[in-house]
Parts: sequence; C-alpha cells; structure tokens
Amino acid sequence: MNVEAVIGLEIHVEMQTKSKMFSTAPVTYKADPNTAVVPLDLGHPGTMPVVNRQAIINAIQVCHALHLQIDSQLWFDRKNYFYPDLPKGYQITQNARPIGSDGWIEVMVENQPFKIRIERLHVEEDTAMQHHYEGFTLVDYNRAGIPLMEIVTKPDIRNGAQAAAFVEAIRQIVSFLKVSSGKMEEGSLRCDVNISVRPVGTETLGTKVEIKNLNSIANVQRAIDVEMLRQERSLIAGIPVQQETRRYDELKKETILMRKKTDAVDYKYFTEPNIVPISLSQDFISNAIHQSLALATTKRTRYQGELGLSEYDAIQLTQDVYVSEYFDQLTTLGNHYKLYANWLLGEIASYLNKANLGMLAFPIQPRYMALLMTMVAKGDLSNKQAKELFEIMVKNPGDPRLLAEKMNMLQISDEGYITQQVQEVLAANPQSIIDFQQGKDRAVGFLIGQIMKKTGGKVNPTLTNQILIKLLKSK
Amino acid sequence: MKKIDKTLLLDASTRLLFVMTDTQYEVLIQEFDILLEQMALIGKIEGVDHVAPMTFSLQNETMQLREDVPSPSLSQTQATQNATFVSEGQIKLPKVVG
Amino acid sequence: MHWLDHTILDIHQALVKKTVTPLQLVEEALRRAKADTWNTFEITTEAHAIQQAKALTTPEVNNPFWGIPFVIKDNFSTQGIQTTAGSNILNGYIPLFDATVYQKLIQAKAILIGKTTLDELAMGGTGMTGHKGYQYNPFDASKTRQIGGSSSGSAAAVSSGMVPFSLGSDTGDSVRKPASYAGLVGFKPTWGRISRYGLFPFAPSLDHVAYFTRSVEDASILTNLLSGPDTNDATSSTQPLPVYHFSQTIPGKKIAVIHEVMDSIQNPIILQRFKQTLEALTKAGAQIDYVHFPLALLQAIYPTYMTLSCAEATSNNANLDGLKFGPGYQGKTYQDVMMQSRTAGFSELIKRRFVIGSFVLMKENQQDLFLRAQRVRRMIVENLQKIYQTYDVIYLPAAPTIAPKFTDSSDRLSSQYLIADSHLALGNFAGLPSVTLPIGFEQNMPFGANIMGRAFEEATTLEVAYVVEQFTGLKNLSILTRKPS
Repeated sequence: MNVEAVIGLEIHVEMQTKSKMFSTAPVTYKADPNTAVVPLDLGHPGTMPVVNRQAIINAIQVCHALHLQIDSQLWFDRKNYFYPDLPKGYQITQNARPIGSDGWIEVMVENQPFKIRIERLHVEEDTAMQHHYEGFTLVDYNRAGIPLMEIVTKPDIRNGAQAAAFVEAIRQIVSFLKVSSGKMEEGSLRCDVNISVRPVGTETLGTKVEIKNLNSIANVQRAIDVEMLRQERSLIAGIPVQQETRRYDELKKETILMRKKTDAVDYKYFTEPNIVPISLSQDFISNAIHQSLALATTKRTRYQGELGLSEYDAIQLTQDVYVSEYFDQLTTLGNHYKLYANWLLGEIASYLNKANLGMLAFPIQPRYMALLMTMVAKGDLSNKQAKELFEIMVKNPGDPRLLAEKMNMLQISDEGYITQQVQEVLAANPQSIIDFQQGKDRAVGFLIGQIMKKTGGKVNPTLTNQILIKLLKSK
Repeated sequence: MKKIDKTLLLDASTRLLFVMTDTQYEVLIQEFDILLEQMALIGKIEGVDHVAPMTFSLQNETMQLREDVPSPSLSQTQATQNATFVSEGQIKLPKVVG
Repeated sequence: MHWLDHTILDIHQALVKKTVTPLQLVEEALRRAKADTWNTFEITTEAHAIQQAKALTTPEVNNPFWGIPFVIKDNFSTQGIQTTAGSNILNGYIPLFDATVYQKLIQAKAILIGKTTLDELAMGGTGMTGHKGYQYNPFDASKTRQIGGSSSGSAAAVSSGMVPFSLGSDTGDSVRKPASYAGLVGFKPTWGRISRYGLFPFAPSLDHVAYFTRSVEDASILTNLLSGPDTNDATSSTQPLPVYHFSQTIPGKKIAVIHEVMDSIQNPIILQRFKQTLEALTKAGAQIDYVHFPLALLQAIYPTYMTLSCAEATSNNANLDGLKFGPGYQGKTYQDVMMQSRTAGFSELIKRRFVIGSFVLMKENQQDLFLRAQRVRRMIVENLQKIYQTYDVIYLPAAPTIAPKFTDSSDRLSSQYLIADSHLALGNFAGLPSVTLPIGFEQNMPFGANIMGRAFEEATTLEVAYVVEQFTGLKNLSILTRKPS
C-alpha cells in the first residue's frame, strides 16, 4: 500500500512591536517577572482593549508577502476558556473574520519549487508564561497580551522537507519585514503540526495527530518524518491511528504521546463587543504594504542579478536580515560586492560566532568596513594585513586608513619605487639572474623574498612580481 | 439544541468552575424552560432568521487604532498586590499539569 | 434647607459667593451618610473627602463641579479604594487605576463621599442582590419597597439628599428605572458618548455610564463634563459635545408615544398624570402622535435582553478566579482553587445567570439562542430607526408602577412580564440617549416618565425633559425637599 502524509502547519509569530496587541504595556524580552504589565494584562475589571496600529500594519505586510486577501474591516472575537495563563478568561482573537485569507507561498524543496496554500492569517494576543516547579506553578504576565500572528496552511504539505522549507520561508519573511525576530529557539516563532496519513489515491483524511512544542526547524522536519513512519506502520498493521497530541523527543528521535485528544473544546466564540469594527481603507492597506522592508527573496534576486553574486552567496547573505542590511549598506559605499560577501560570511561571521554576538552588535561601522575592503581591493593591503587590522578594529573601531598608516602597513604600489627596489636587489644577487636564465623558477621566489625583506613586506606583491619578471627578462 | 437536564447543567457549571446545589439546579431548569419557550416564540417572528446578527447598534467614529507607544509598566509589587499567594514576584498556584 | 439640598448649579452659585464652603457641604454629606439606614454604602471615604474639601479654598467660577460632593456606584474602578461590585468574589480588591469618569470628576474638584451598593456585578434590577443585602427606598418609610437596580445605592444617596448627583451604570435600565422609583432625573446618554474605561463590564454592547441628578440642567452639565473620546476606550466617540438650548417652549418637536407600551399599563394614576404631561408638551409647541411598534418585538425585549446580557456577562466575569485578585484559596489543582473562589464568591443568582449565558453561547445553541437574540436586536433597532425618521423623541411612562414591594419581587426569570416594565431596554439595544424624570406620586411614592432621542441628540432629549420638569414643578425633588401633597 502506498501511503501519503497529509500535513498542515499552524505557525504563531510573536511580533516585536513596542507595545502589546491590546494594551499599552511594553513588549520586552527577558525582563524581571511582572515588570512589563498594565492592569489589562492581568485581567483587571474595567480594563479595555485598544488595537495596536503597528501590529495591524505588520499583519498587512505579512499578508501581502503571502498573497493573502486582506479584509477591509477588522473584527475581533472572544475565545472563552479557563486556564491560569489566560488572565481575562478569554483570548481576544479573530475567528470569524481573519485579516488575511486564501493565500499561498512557493518554496524551494531540493531545488524544485513547491506551492503551499495558506488558509488564513489572523492576529491575536499571547498568553502569560507559567513556570513549573516541584509542587507549584508561578505565573509571569509579561508575555500576556504580546501581539501574535497565526498562520494556518491548507494540508498541502507531504513531508518534513517541505514543512521545514515552509517554516524557513516564514522565518525569512517575518524577520526581513522586521515584524518578528522569528526564532523558534526563543519562542518568537512557534510551529504546530497537524499530520495524518492515507492510502495514495484516496480523498478522505485519516485521523489527525497534533505535534506541539517543537523548538527548531530541523526538529519540525525530523518530527514529521518519524511521525509519518509511525502512522504508516500503524495503517499497514491495521491499527487505527488515535487522535492525540504528541511532542518530539530529540534524543529518542521519536514522537511521544502528550495527551489523548478528547472532544473538541467549545470556545463559545462571539464578537468582541469592546472593539468596534475598524475600517481598513485602501489607502491604509497600500501605505502599510508600501512601508514594507525588502523581502529576502527580493534581495536574493538583486544580489544575483544586479550585483552578480553566486546563488550560494545570495542565500547565505539573506539568512539574517541584519547581515543583509549590513551588506546593503556596504554596497552603497563601494562596489566590491564579492569581497564584502566573503568578509561578511567569513571573518565577520566567525568573529560574531566566537564573541557570541548578533550582527547588530558588530562593532565596526559599515563605512570603516567599506574603507578596509577598498584598501584590500586596491591592493593597498594584503589579505593578511587586512585581517590583522580587522582584529584591532573590532576592539577599537576606527578609520582603517589611519590605523594602517600608524602601523606602517600600507602596501606600496608606486611603480617607480618598486622598480628601484627590484633593481637594487638584482644588483645584489647576480647569481639569481643566472639561475633564472637557466630556467630555475626558485630564483623568482628567492628574489621576491629578498625584496620583501628589504622593504619590510610593504610592496604590492603582484606588482612587484610583474616588474621583477619584466626586468629579469630584459637582462 | 441540547436538552436541559441536571446532567447538562452540572456539566455547564463545572466548566464555569463553580458548584451549585440540587435546589439551585431545579430553579435553573425552570428558568431555562421559560427562557427557551420565549426564545422559541421569537423564532416565529417573521423574517428573524434572515436578518444579520447585531453586536453594535452604532458604528461610531471612535478611537480606533492606537499608536504603538508603550506606557510605563506596573511595578512587580503593584502587579501582585491583590493576589493572595505570591512568590518571587509572581502569582503562585498549585502545579499546573496538562 | 441646607445648601446640600440644592441642585449642582445652585450650590455652585453659593460656593462662588462663598455663602457655603466645600467643607461645610462635605461635612453635612458625611453626617447624612453616617445616618444612612437604607444600606446605601459599600464604604465611605470620610478622611479623604475632608482632606480634599479643606484643600479647596478658591472657587472656580466656570467649574460647576468644584467642591460638590458625590458618590459613585461600586462597579467603577477607583485607585486605592476598595471596589467589590457588590460581590464577595471581589472582597478586598483594591484597584490600580481610576475609571476615566471618576478621574474627570476628581480633576473637576468634585469630592467623593463613598462607593455605593448595587445588585451583584450590576446584574439585577431590584437592589436586592448585592452582598450587603437589600437596598431600601428613602421615599418609603415602611421599608417594604425596593428602589430598583442595579444602581440602587447611587439612587438612594441622591433621593435622600446625601449628595446632589451620583454615578451609576445602565445596561437594561439600571439607572433609568430606579430614577422612576426614587423621584430622580436618571440619564443614560448615547453609547460611546462617555468612556467606559474603568466601569466593570456587565454586557459591553449594552453597558452605559449613567447618572442621577435632581434636575435636567444638572444632567446636561454632567453629560458634558464626562463625555469625550478616550484613548483607553476604543468604543468612545469623537462626536462633538451637545449644545443645549433649554426653553419653556419646544415648537415643532415631534414626540411619539408607543400604543403597545401604553396598553400594557394599568395604573390609572400613572396613566392620567402621563396624559397631563402630554398636554403640557403640546402647549409648549410639540406635536404628539401615538405610533405602533410590532408587539412581537416588544415582547421579545425581555428574553432577548436576558440572552444577550447573560452571555456577555459570563465572558466578562471569567477573569474572577481568585488568582490575581479577590479572596484566594489553596487546593490541589488550578481548577480546584478557581472553583473554590467562584463557588464561594458568586451568589446563587449570578451562577444561574452564568449558566444561562454559557448555554446560549454553546456551538449547538448559538443559532437558536445567542445569534437569534442578536438578530432580534437588529430588528428592534431598525424599527426604532423608522420611528426616528419622523419623530425627535419617544415619550413613555418609565415604569408601569411605583416601586414594587420586596415581597412582590423575585430574581427568577419570569414568564409574566410587562412590556411596560422592559421598554427602557430599547435605549440599550439601540444605544440611544434616554432620560427618566419624576412626574408624579402615587401612595406617596414617586413615578417617572422617560424620553428617548436619536443617537447623539442628548440636547433635544434633555430639552424635551426640561419642559416636562417645568410643568411638574418637581425639579430638585428629594425626601428632604418634597413638599407635602
């Protein structure tokens, strides 16, 4: 029996707005518990929700990137249930009228394009955080009310690779639009998987299993792949798949039962009466879209096309929005695109990695970096010298030209000076001239060495080589 | 529509996280009888099911979207001062499982 | 007569002339509050009131609220002052912020004397269900009659002369019905006029901030003080403030009286007195017509109101779980602690209302119950709008009787209800400005009439009320100013 998996994903994206979705409390990371809250976040009686304009703009931008139809009115609903992390006893969400519906995205999976339809995108608020200890739980409301975007796909996905590509694409979209940091490891991007299997050729869906608490894109893929296998084996053995919620165990490399799915909870949705429906005019929507920062896909097209970089470089440069922005700034200061790419993906990446810093914390300003690159490109500095300067600049950012001069590093490219140095060395090493004329290549290397020694390594090696060969040939 | 009996009402009140006495359930059953009868009469009003439901009677020009400017937070003390059980600046409750 | 027994506007004149001081007013108000035998207060704020009164030395000529004592229903958030909404589940709750309307009054230098009792969580109409017990009606010496609800204490405070105005809330008639039973002006402006930030919600799509005064003009100045857009309330309106032109005559005003409501009133004294006011209105230049309103829709008001308000209320009060505020309990699981809090904290009536509220919202019931009620609401509102295409106001007796006796009252859903008892809810369904004012007495108990205008036409509504007030001579009515009949 040929079995296929039918997979849908539910992604929650935490928005990095300055204030919360419905309350004015600051959105913070790693603040002390209950120090980023206002009474609404604790569900105090008499408090009222007021919609955050920036959160809506963010949602519109993501809707646009995902080709979703954008509703012309904003309506909200209450999702009613009791849980300690839900201070009001209901969550304000969008059930009946999500801001975005019926979209799609095309992702590359093993170099083939694959289209995934998107059912909806809606905005809602996050819950508080619970910290579990031996015998008790503590609740921190800092996260309660932070704006969330929920993106739900149609069950078009068939395997882990496609799912991973989708989540990665979403990550790039939200991080490049700067609406979210998009980090699964930090919880600002969350992915729940709904997966069932069925014999190929059938239309009916099998029993759905939900996989939650995935903490990386790699684990999304792994979890799906093992779960597919588990369900397939079940089907073949004639054991019906149970409706369950499972989690992925990284060490065991299998999905583990969290809880059996009981009857679907009735959330008693009804229209939120404290938010009068808000008209989203065409102008408002267009402006929001217009304000969008460039997507990773757009940048890649430009990097490969206009800037002539390789596909590999383009992809690498667009993994992190701040890396690509740094690169973009360099490109306004010079045109040594390949050099910039090499350094960003090489020296700079390695430095940041060792120092455990993000691109935003990189201490060298683009203009100084650009100057350094120009010096390398022009041959004023060797690669080795540039790396030396780089090490100094990360500790003491400053103009590399001044630094190079202070350290006597500048390569000399004055042809007249070099010619003189070469002639002096030739005069002092007549045997080498004879060696060269007799075809001994080592002679050139030896002479270059001598010239470097004489000039303290400051002459432009390529130019020196050229001049030396020319003079040797003329002897 | 679900039939009203004590089992149903017990389930409903449990989901609402409170307990009622048998007498109270009996009163409630009577109230439901009255309400459902009246709502059934309403169901007979001509055209009622073809009209759109109304949440808002007035679509005011209102204070709609808020600028994304944060306000100062409560202090940890203020945030927890009305709670009976507090620990480490957080609200404390029995361990939550599931 | 003490200055406290005058209207806000008259007291203001005296304050400006320094004939009386805020401290004298406050001391008298507190004396009367302490002598309260009607169960009016959750708490009094004596020390703070005296301190504030002493600090007011230079009258603000253009601020009629300067130095005026008032009380507010205990479902408004007042920072640092206990607020319980008449329910044990909020015993000891000290809010962290002020309701916008409270803040406006404080900024206008009005002085809070205390927080008043109410039906629990504002979910009642008898004044009998608050956790402090029955609210008595100051007009009834026998203490056998209610004052109505849910803004019971706020009504008692003004009708007994403790303060010249008080704040309440009105979701189905909770200020405008007690106003009738207590001889007061009770005004509920248009939905969205006044910020509800800080008002503990009962049913937000029906809730309004509303208030008691003893004169129509006082109601108008209070309206303009409290109105205005509020960034904390997304439903608050940016409509410009009303501009009033009070006059003895209202030439050309068209007034509609609904046949079906009138037919449901039996009391001959109320009917007769109401007719007299109609004659007065006609003399003042108004055109009065009797109009029809679909009976089935009027009969639908009560169950529709029950369905909608219970549903919203159940959701609004899901925050009351004993974890963040209110008395807390220990237990084995979170459900256990929440259940203990909600079982002990809510009265039986509230529990029944919540079960109804959650039942009508269940997936399998929504079409037949909650959504149907929302559809009926639209039909009711549309029919009202038809009337307002021709008429400026609808005018009706506020209630079919004087204040009922406690023994005739029940908190149970009734299969017998009078249209005349529920028509005030039309003002909540449609969000229209609506004012009750006293027109007469029966058995020495007051009764009132109600005027309801178009959305944001508070001016026209109160201008018509003013004419009625002029005719009745019942301006500034309280138990202390009541002239023997």
